[in-house]
Amino acid sequence: MNKPLISVEKLSVNYITDTGSVKAVNNVSFEINSGEIFGLVGESGSGKSTVVQAMMRILPPPALISNGSVKINNRDILSVVDSEVLGFRWKEISIVMQSALNALNPVLSVREQICDVLKTHKGLLGTLAHNRAKELLSLVDIDRDRLNSYPHQLSGGMKQRIVIAIALAIMPPIIIMDEPTTALDVIVEREILAKIIELRKKLGFTILFITHDLNLLLDFADRLAIMKDGKILELDNVKNIQKGGRHPYTKKLIDSIPSASGARQKGLFSKPESLDFPDMPILEVQNLNKIFQSSELFKKDKLIAVNDVSFKVSQGEIVGLVGESGSGKSTIAKLVTRLIRPTSGTIYLNGENKKVSESRNVPLEYRKIVQMVFQDPFGSLNSIHTVYHHLARPLLRHRLKSENELFLYIVHLLETVGLSPGEKFAEKFPHEMSGGERQRVAIARALSLEPQIIVADEPTSMLDVSIRMDILEIFAKMRKENNLTVLFITHDLASARYLADRIIVLKDGSIIEEGASEDLIQSPIQKYTKQLVRAASPGWFHSLYKNSDNKESKNDR
Amino acid sequence: MSKSISYLIRRLGFYLVAAFAALTLNFIIPRMMPGDPASIIFARFRGKLKPEAIEAMRQSFGLTNDPLLVQYWSYLKGILGGNLGTSIAYFPEPVADIISSGLFWTIFLAGSSLIVAFSIGTLLGVFIAWNRTGRLDTLLPPTLAFLGAFPYFWLAMLSLYIFGFSLNWFPLGHAYGNEVTPGPNLSFILSVIYHATLPAFTMIFVSLGGWMLSMRNTMISTLGADYITFANAKGISSRLIMLRYAARNAILPNLTGFGMALGFILSGALLTEIIFSYPGQGYLLLQAVKSQDFPLMQGIFMTITFAVLAANWLVDIAILIFDPRTRK
Amino acid sequence: MKNKIQHSSIVTRWFAGIISNKKALAGSCIILFFVFIAIIGPFLIQSPTDFLGTPLSPPSFKHLFGTNGQGQDVFSQTISGARQTLFVGFSAGILVVLIGALIGGIAGYYGGQTDDILSLIINIFLVMPGLPLMVILASWLPPGPGTLLGVLVLTGWAWNARVIRSQMMTFRNRDFVSAAIISGEKNIRIIVVEIMPRMLSLLASSFIGASIYAIGAQVGLEFLGLGDISTVTWGTNLYWASNDLALLTESWWTFVPTGLSIAIVSFALTLINFGIDEVTNPRLISERLWRNKVPRNMITNGITPVLKKHE
Repeated sequence: MNKPLISVEKLSVNYITDTGSVKAVNNVSFEINSGEIFGLVGESGSGKSTVVQAMMRILPPPALISNGSVKINNRDILSVVDSEVLGFRWKEISIVMQSALNALNPVLSVREQICDVLKTHKGLLGTLAHNRAKELLSLVDIDRDRLNSYPHQLSGGMKQRIVIAIALAIMPPIIIMDEPTTALDVIVEREILAKIIELRKKLGFTILFITHDLNLLLDFADRLAIMKDGKILELDNVKNIQKGGRHPYTKKLIDSIPSASGARQKGLFSKPESLDFPDMPILEVQNLNKIFQSSELFKKDKLIAVNDVSFKVSQGEIVGLVGESGSGKSTIAKLVTRLIRPTSGTIYLNGENKKVSESRNVPLEYRKIVQMVFQDPFGSLNSIHTVYHHLARPLLRHRLKSENELFLYIVHLLETVGLSPGEKFAEKFPHEMSGGERQRVAIARALSLEPQIIVADEPTSMLDVSIRMDILEIFAKMRKENNLTVLFITHDLASARYLADRIIVLKDGSIIEEGASEDLIQSPIQKYTKQLVRAASPGWFHSLYKNSDNKESKNDR
Repeated sequence: MSKSISYLIRRLGFYLVAAFAALTLNFIIPRMMPGDPASIIFARFRGKLKPEAIEAMRQSFGLTNDPLLVQYWSYLKGILGGNLGTSIAYFPEPVADIISSGLFWTIFLAGSSLIVAFSIGTLLGVFIAWNRTGRLDTLLPPTLAFLGAFPYFWLAMLSLYIFGFSLNWFPLGHAYGNEVTPGPNLSFILSVIYHATLPAFTMIFVSLGGWMLSMRNTMISTLGADYITFANAKGISSRLIMLRYAARNAILPNLTGFGMALGFILSGALLTEIIFSYPGQGYLLLQAVKSQDFPLMQGIFMTITFAVLAANWLVDIAILIFDPRTRK
Repeated sequence: MKNKIQHSSIVTRWFAGIISNKKALAGSCIILFFVFIAIIGPFLIQSPTDFLGTPLSPPSFKHLFGTNGQGQDVFSQTISGARQTLFVGFSAGILVVLIGALIGGIAGYYGGQTDDILSLIINIFLVMPGLPLMVILASWLPPGPGTLLGVLVLTGWAWNARVIRSQMMTFRNRDFVSAAIISGEKNIRIIVVEIMPRMLSLLASSFIGASIYAIGAQVGLEFLGLGDISTVTWGTNLYWASNDLALLTESWWTFVPTGLSIAIVSFALTLINFGIDEVTNPRLISERLWRNKVPRNMITNGITPVLKKHE
């Protein structure tokens, strides 16, 4: 029986903060065998990144490893002297860090950042190093011209590939991949993962893969561990976990991810009895255009963010606006809520032309009708004000309630969005609440004016997976009970499938396709829509396992 | 057009506007004073100056009876043609000549002190931020901060007192000794260095803390970046990370700050010159103030402004070299 | 009603946080001490302007800091000098921050063409060297604290305006501002109620930085002889010391006490700024705590330390 490649035993890591010592990793043990793909799953704050960074001892202060051993090829990196630690790094174990967008030094070229590893570990200089660098780039399908590029000239997908190439440079036996694709668009993400799997088949290294997306790992990992609050709750091979695992948290994680393909799961969200919508739309957008100009001295950079977009939304309907980054969906959100003015185009509310292109001033009535929920629960609440202040201000501004009625109404609002007891939450400051609680407050704020339309701009993409469905259910409930209209903006096709009645697909500022959610998912017409549906579906890799020619995608600019 | 060139031209455009603003300010100030500037001059200087001098000053300001715009235009033509008027204190010498005689010394003293202080301060900041455990990090920042709290010229007085008058280690003033002849000969150069030592040291001491602290601050925030963690993970040498990864990024905001601080630092240099009777612009400024020599004062203002603007443009070029993000 | 209670406690909370920091506390105490002396001191000492003793006599019991070139008591001069210098210095500080907040805030919040114009003005004032401009202005205007104040503010406002503009732009792009706009809040209210309270630390350290600058520049101008040399301020003290050939006559006591006072005040102000820095950036504090907890020999840059148990 082979000894495991990596053996982590009773690892504990503390963070020293001004409020005391926080245990980020608590007594974690696992083993990784040579040649396998081992997954580490957890939500934010679970400690998964801390574990792997501790394994290489690259945790910055104020981290302190308080216990445990990490044996790589039988040598414990935690007990050797500091000078020997460098001997492990990159030779025995390397890492592809989370958001490679920041992993590259902005002032050095790609070539310099590949060659310094080659020089340090293999003593390669000059042409030898240069040639090896070119080889590495071609391994990840990057043109060798890019050697002289700087990070700011590269797209997210390219930067990620280059970081993978650097990680492979000395061919270590094991590579840690820490959320390597989280910040990327879903199509690019799948391509990169396919490339990783292909490389692994070719070169045979072991992978420790970290992600918050359990679904992803169920596709291609061999074994995985699930972490929460610094502890490992479940550790098993993938087949057993797919069946539901042993720990209730595992089941909860599996259940919170709807599928973007296959048969439709029933009962995920509340639905009204009838889905008959009135003919007259409550919101109509016609020929909306937004062009951003950046003025340099001689060259004017034009960015066409929204290109001739027109659509209608009926009262009581939930419409999903689906697209990747750069598709224009957030810009449309800002245009509909009139945070910015369109370059041209019209918006009709309840049949009335709101003259959005002409006037700068937005009448108060518009604000009462159209409200917004933002993506980042940390940024959309002002840290210096209480929940009460956040909810009271709009009501006072619109003179909807007098001072006496405020408190009761606010408490009722908070209960509606699931924050109970309302009185307790009203007194809290944002930093005293979790991300999910803050987002509920943001929704309560948007609902306080009893608007007819809510624009929700990626309301759950920064939240933990396990609570996303609960938050989206609030929108479904409000629609069912109060006939609220929701413009649901997201990059996640799966949640749009279940929450939205209709989906509009955006790419590069234009509408690609539009249709009833289930129809769009089951039978997409346009090529891009098909790509999106495929990328969001499980089992995507199996088709790639058979298909071994992958060229540099047109999506990498 | 390449991004770098367009950037440099844009910056040059800004400096031209700023220079223009300074020229206009110079023009407007005497005319904004309560009362008619000509009478003010007359009243202040009557009896103290020869009538020719008062007339010359009038000319320097372009205080004729022509409409304002005509005055402005002839003023601009004059300045751009190098005519800065006639000095009062050194009447009848033209201001331009007086200034050019002192310009070299100021640039020499202030320039060399600035470069030395910036280099040493920045390097110290790098080391201190890197080795934050060292005793150096606990002692140096507060000590240098304290030194930096003293006015430039006061520290100059103190050091002149201690090292000049009391200990007699250094000369008491001037750019070079009386016994040497100016020119490219060794004894002259040595004398210049000897005379410049004390004033330069003073300026370096006072400004060192500022450079060190700001570099230290930017280093500390740079060291928290992801690419530093990744560089660590790569197992490359500590020195390489400190210099090529951390310092090269941390220095960029300091370069920007350098340009902006130039004007401020130059002011301190001018005052230091006065203490050491160093024959630069500072010394001239003092004489100008003593004799209410407005043409000279304004000439110095224009010269220093142009010098600072030019230096700022050089810093912009440096940033272009150091930061690839400003290029294509 | 509840809102008003929250408001005063934002400022009090912030203030309490600052005072709890050791550096800020130490600096504040020193400043308060000097302010106290500046206000009360002149009533308790002998006249600084009377010619009391032999000129240029070294410190003695009769004259704690000795006498200057005119035979005036240096101790009294140092104490009296504090008043105008500190008053003009702090007043300039407040004015500079007010102007900076107004111009920088408007430029940063409204953006667009407003920002283009205001930024240009800010940058022009920023890049022009201060001292020569101050000298010209101060020479034309009658000498005195009013002139000094005006001249200091004119040359000093740009730096803070730029910094405040920068922060305002950062906040302007945050979602909580967008949310307030979508709720229908008026811009002025957003600036004053939502954004400014979050800039308290920046405004405070701007005030302190501006005061440091104002005190130093003021002293410099007076040293050149541009202040009202008949008044007693720290700057004019140094002017007279230099004029009366303090160095040549080796009368160090005529300029050292004043210089030290200026330095101590500036240093105390810097200390307060360090304290504010630490409070707004708690990472600095947690790093210090970490450094105290981990034995020095276990800290190597770039390698996470491991707490070793007994082997």
